[in-house]
Amino acid sequence: MKKHVALIMAMIMMLTVGLGLAFNADSEIVVVSREEGSGTRGAFVEITGVEVDKVDNTTLDAEIQNATSQVLVSVAGNEVAIGYISLAALNETVKALKVDGFEANSENIIAGDYPVARPFNVVTKADADLSEAAADFLAFILSKEGQAVITENDAIAVDADAPAYEAKDVEGKVVVGGSTSVEPVMGKLAEAYKALNPKVEIEIQGGGSSTGVNQALEGTFDIGMASRNLKDSEVEKGAKNTVIAMDGIAVIVNPENTIEDVSLEQLRQIFTGEVKTWAELGK
Amino acid sequence: MRGIFLFSACVCIIAVAMICIFLFANGIPFFRKFSLWSFLTGQQWSPLREIFGIMPMIIGSFYITIGAVLLASPIGILTAVFMTYFSNEGINRFMKPSVALLAGIPSVVYGFFGMMLLVPLTKDLLNLSSGKCVLVASVLLAIMVLPTIIQTSAAALSAVPSNYYEGSLALGATHEYSVLHVMIPAARPGILSGVVLGIGRAIGETTAVIMVAGNQARMPQGITKGIRTLTVNIMMEMGYAADVHRDSLIATGVVLFVIVLCINSIFSYINRRRVIQ
Repeated sequence: MKKHVALIMAMIMMLTVGLGLAFNADSEIVVVSREEGSGTRGAFVEITGVEVDKVDNTTLDAEIQNATSQVLVSVAGNEVAIGYISLAALNETVKALKVDGFEANSENIIAGDYPVARPFNVVTKADADLSEAAADFLAFILSKEGQAVITENDAIAVDADAPAYEAKDVEGKVVVGGSTSVEPVMGKLAEAYKALNPKVEIEIQGGGSSTGVNQALEGTFDIGMASRNLKDSEVEKGAKNTVIAMDGIAVIVNPENTIEDVSLEQLRQIFTGEVKTWAELGK
Repeated sequence: MRGIFLFSACVCIIAVAMICIFLFANGIPFFRKFSLWSFLTGQQWSPLREIFGIMPMIIGSFYITIGAVLLASPIGILTAVFMTYFSNEGINRFMKPSVALLAGIPSVVYGFFGMMLLVPLTKDLLNLSSGKCVLVASVLLAIMVLPTIIQTSAAALSAVPSNYYEGSLALGATHEYSVLHVMIPAARPGILSGVVLGIGRAIGETTAVIMVAGNQARMPQGITKGIRTLTVNIMMEMGYAADVHRDSLIATGVVLFVIVLCINSIFSYINRRRVIQ
């Protein structure tokens, strides 16, 4: 009895694995996206121009998954699907596309060539003196230990040969605020820092990148966080940014897919639903 | 000693009361800012732009629940009839634990089964671009509610006094005729309450559905297209939701709670009628 059941199960599995995994360019593109509110989705729609004037134009036909792992499984299981995930989560079950001719890897992102990436900035006021504690915290972020924390939390460290950090027995309070995308990493950094400097209190607030820059200029935040480049107007007002990490997003398709390379504009067309089939994209 | 019993009974009541208070206390403020009517009938869900319409999710929930119950009811009821009247000890010794096991499988396992097997199979058989659709979600939910329907129906059938059956035979009816025309009608309220329980289970299921339904927050486009249910909407966006967005998800929970309350009322109404009969 058990043998038969096992045999039937095995046959069904073979059937499903063997069936139709050939890529057909005339097929509809199955767009896989993340849920609204996800930082990855926010960054992706902003960089690709799917978002126009704060309106996210992602096609309503897009399959929505609420975890990176689910996006991976969906794309790995469907030869006509396309999705995006944090670069750190990329594995061999899917194929990462080149964007504008550049492969998705840390080197291209740090060099600024791969476009679906964004900097994690800390923002300070150029002409103001940082408190001792704030300066020390910044030094920690850019040290070997700080960059290791960043790598552990799925972002790309900017400085592979950063100097080691030495605790200097400082005390005080540091208020950090801004981008909610940087917030989780900053939280981990603060945790690691406080383990070494128990006398320093670090308060982390959200609010978004623009809030981060403005409040840093006004002095409400000692350190602002921004997950985008500074605008000219902000630099004129005296904002100074330091890139502490890079966040890369890999555009992924099924390994059966014959397409290797897309442009940012094509990504916009796919994710807004302007282009419906893979064949159309080739033209 | 009585105190211990009373305390145990209270734990359950307190839990229900606390959930009610939490849901309504957190959900009602949302309706001060957004009208209940536009929340229920709005067809667009763009939480980041503060456009909250859960009509697609309400319809989505009903869509796959009705699909699941339509599939599961005939199979479940006929299985119960088989187990009660046409089976024998040997088969039942195998059937009953199987059904119980089906009821005990965690929903994430069902979801995994659906995602790895049903989704690709449906995609290939029906030649779709994606297998994540209403159909697969309904089939999966049907399997999940089967044990509820089978067990309740079987219990209802066994509870019918055997002299009904004997009387029917004495009047010259065959075994099949007696079962179909005497025993099943006599057990109807019990069977019906099993179906209603199944509806309750199906509408509340989340984990398995999220893995196979595609989760598009738009009006249903047919049974081979994806859909989002109320439960999925809450679970999917809870992780990153803040402020009004979070409140809107709790409000979704309130709506779901009221729907489930209605289903349970129907269930107890059917049950009460059965007792009166």
